[in-house]
Amino acid sequence: MKNIGKIVATEKMPTTVDEFYFWTDKVRIIKPFDVVKVDHIPPSGSNKNSITFGVVEEISHFTDSPSFLAGYISSDFGDVDHKPNTERIGMNYVKAKVVGNTEGIFTPVLDGHLVSLAGEEDVKKALGLDEIKNKLPCGYIDMYEPPDNIRIPVHFNSHFLIGPEGAHLNISGISGLAAKTSYAMFLLKAIQCQFLQNKKENESVAFVILNVKGKDLVAIDEPNKDLENRDKDIYEMLGLEPKPFTNVKYFYPYNKDFPTTYALKDDVKSQMKQGKAFQFKYIFEEDKDSIDLLFSNVDDPTQTMESIVNYISTGQGKFDGLTNWNELLTEIYEHTKKGDTGKDKEITISSWGKFYRLFRKTLDKSAIFASRLGDGEVRLQEQIKNIQKNDIYVIDVAKLDEETQGFVFGDVMRAVYDLKLGQIERKESEIPSKIIIFIDELNKYASKEVPKSSPILRQILDITERGCSLGIILFGAEQFRSDIHDRVKGNCSSYAYGRTNAIEVSKGDYQYVPPVYKFNLKNILGVSLSGRAFRYNLFVQPTMPIQQKGFSLQSLTQNSIPFAA
Amino acid sequence: MDKIIPFLEEQVGGICYRSYKYCVDEREVPSVNYEDNKLYTLQRDRYGETDTSLKSTKDIYRTAKQIEGSNPLFRYFLDGSRRIYKIDDIELGRKIFPIIGGQIGVACCERQSPSTFKKAILEHNLVMSLPSEADKDGKNSEQFFNAITQKINNLSKLLQYNLKFSKILTYSSKELAPGEKFENKGIAKIQDEMTECEKKIVAELVKKNLLNQDNYLLKDGSLQYKPMKSGDFRELSKIKSNYRCVIGLSKHFNPELSKDKSGKSNATKIAKLPLYHRTPAFMYQTDIVSTEVHFCIWYLRIRDVKYTESPFAGVVKIEKVLVTDDEIENGLSSDEIDLISANIINERSPVAYGTDTRWANHLYPIYLTEKYVKSQYISDLHFLNLF
Repeated sequence: MKNIGKIVATEKMPTTVDEFYFWTDKVRIIKPFDVVKVDHIPPSGSNKNSITFGVVEEISHFTDSPSFLAGYISSDFGDVDHKPNTERIGMNYVKAKVVGNTEGIFTPVLDGHLVSLAGEEDVKKALGLDEIKNKLPCGYIDMYEPPDNIRIPVHFNSHFLIGPEGAHLNISGISGLAAKTSYAMFLLKAIQCQFLQNKKENESVAFVILNVKGKDLVAIDEPNKDLENRDKDIYEMLGLEPKPFTNVKYFYPYNKDFPTTYALKDDVKSQMKQGKAFQFKYIFEEDKDSIDLLFSNVDDPTQTMESIVNYISTGQGKFDGLTNWNELLTEIYEHTKKGDTGKDKEITISSWGKFYRLFRKTLDKSAIFASRLGDGEVRLQEQIKNIQKNDIYVIDVAKLDEETQGFVFGDVMRAVYDLKLGQIERKESEIPSKIIIFIDELNKYASKEVPKSSPILRQILDITERGCSLGIILFGAEQFRSDIHDRVKGNCSSYAYGRTNAIEVSKGDYQYVPPVYKFNLKNILGVSLSGRAFRYNLFVQPTMPIQQKGFSLQSLTQNSIPFAA
Repeated sequence: MDKIIPFLEEQVGGICYRSYKYCVDEREVPSVNYEDNKLYTLQRDRYGETDTSLKSTKDIYRTAKQIEGSNPLFRYFLDGSRRIYKIDDIELGRKIFPIIGGQIGVACCERQSPSTFKKAILEHNLVMSLPSEADKDGKNSEQFFNAITQKINNLSKLLQYNLKFSKILTYSSKELAPGEKFENKGIAKIQDEMTECEKKIVAELVKKNLLNQDNYLLKDGSLQYKPMKSGDFRELSKIKSNYRCVIGLSKHFNPELSKDKSGKSNATKIAKLPLYHRTPAFMYQTDIVSTEVHFCIWYLRIRDVKYTESPFAGVVKIEKVLVTDDEIENGLSSDEIDLISANIINERSPVAYGTDTRWANHLYPIYLTEKYVKSQYISDLHFLNLF
């Protein structure tokens, strides 16, 4: 490959076991995360030089000008039109991080040794991509400028993403530009594709996706019309069929005339006609025990809300024998009146009043709390308990209010949990061995500010801590990683970072991130991957969504600066 | 591992004193070091240029502006430097002589475009300067010292680092005149060797037909080479045709050495030279070089005096060897002098401000060449430890 510079080891900047510096021509285009290789000393008893690989971290331009003033004077004492016969001598010097040596030699690389671009195989070797087992595509890397450019597929070790070695993925990035959802969908597609292609008796997967905004995910079994041949080529390079998701069922919140959704009426009707879309409801008889989920984001330091929920769900007072949500509401209202003697003396009237207000607000806003099911209407709990292998359930909660969204999400997690804990009468072999839940806006349910008593937070913590062994895998996305509960982040085995802002990267979560990574996170469209699956952090380019989507990533990918590690 | 000093002791039959080794250049007390150290008086009846009407100074700025952006006249830049070391003292025939070591670097760099500055020719030599007494037979000194050089180069220490001494120079062991020092004699020999290298590089450029009226060589320092006793280019008069397209530029000159036709010092006129003005060109000969070589010299101010530390900073002395009979008879064409001056004005930036105290007199391509030469030296520690 092409030689691009030579190692420089100075008194102040020596080469070390884990980094080195080299110079390149000032017009040589090189990017952070590019992999370079350096001729290094041979192992004992051999004449063949070993090769040390490095990942470019920082690039600086440097001239012999000792001060800004020298620059001013050199321009004929401040004449901006002055053109000198000789340009000031300058070069770029590059700091690179050592990522390995072909012979395991970690003696620092030597001054004056040649630095060159690496080939495809070299890059894979350098980044440890050649040793990945249980390959699951997770993106691709574009490296170098034409004519030296190379494109390298990147794979996860799926055992670190969806168990058994590790589980859960956390994706963060600012809204709209970070490609969080696109990237999550790409991974889900890759997982489904892999399980459909390699059918194993002991392993199977199913997906539960919550659509929390717009109509992003309510047509994932429809092909993306904007997908061009070059995008299809990328999917094929990664070993994926360039086709949308299969086995998809959509669940929309019930409403009298048309479901509470942002999806187009005709599309929903068509889906229903094809038997792949349903409206879901919560029936008092079956779902009354879940009302605690409605108050998960209510600050409850004295645990009065929790006491009321317990009071109701254990049927104390007159709460036994109620048959519908309205009766429940009426009964709660009764407890808000002065002089009532049948209630728990420890719960004050004002607490009942607060509970009543919140509960009534939710009931008024949403029609999903109903007395019984009609045609084409389902209960989510039941559906999830019957989920089949390779099924994808898309639950649309985008148009619901925040409390109801939380209620549905909590209920879904509870249902998945019950299913995987064997509390449902179903043959073990028929239950998908792994269920992946994808939820965007994770910060609503698992942020540091969510009350510790929140049942949803408890559920999420339980899943992230025990889910790996149970086969429940959480793919969560949020705008700001720093908002998320430490135990939730800490239990994720893989992390993906989309574009974010300067304030976010200045926070403690990014303390260990080198400045150049921070620069990429702020300025370059791409997904930075880290976690147990990789030897080094990787920066992969987002792929064009394979499925139809509410908005197009095309313009972003065209303008993006490729990748690196 | 074989070191040079014990080997030399054995070869020349002397006793070395293992005295302190050091780099002479770093110990020198700072002093004004002029690039011209010869007093010269201009020839009263001769003009250095064809325009004899020019009595005062001439503004070159307009010419410089006119040619701005076109291909510059200077394509090649030459600079030589040396680094001197006091290695040891050796006793030979009851006299003590210093052993002087040196690194000589002479480089010619080529400016292919404003952004491409490359080495054209480089001479980097390691040398030693020994007293002539070191050859005890004294019959065929050249052969004797060549043989020692060969043997030194085969010492394991030098082979290990792939280094070679190019030559052992000899200085006279004769009794010293008052004020003379053997050390200075040894240093002078190394200096002469450097000058010889410069002449060799100019000859090489000429041989390759690289110098012509559109591609001049700008040499750092004076062209007044004194005749040598040996060497291929010992007399400038014999090789002056090589200097047809060569300009010597002294950034540090002694203004008191320059006298006008009436024998008075030119210093005041030079100090008052306006910005981008040149003096009339003068013609002179000097016995030190050869009476057969005529030089045309003039002074040019390239920096405004308000920015410089002294009235002479910012003024350069320009020299050209007059080659043709016509030039010797009538002086250099005034147009050519203007063109050369204008091109030098256009070389005024970038500047080495902050990195070189001589920034006001320095031209950047020369500065770069000097930097390149010095970058090729092995470190002082490395050199001294060879001994």
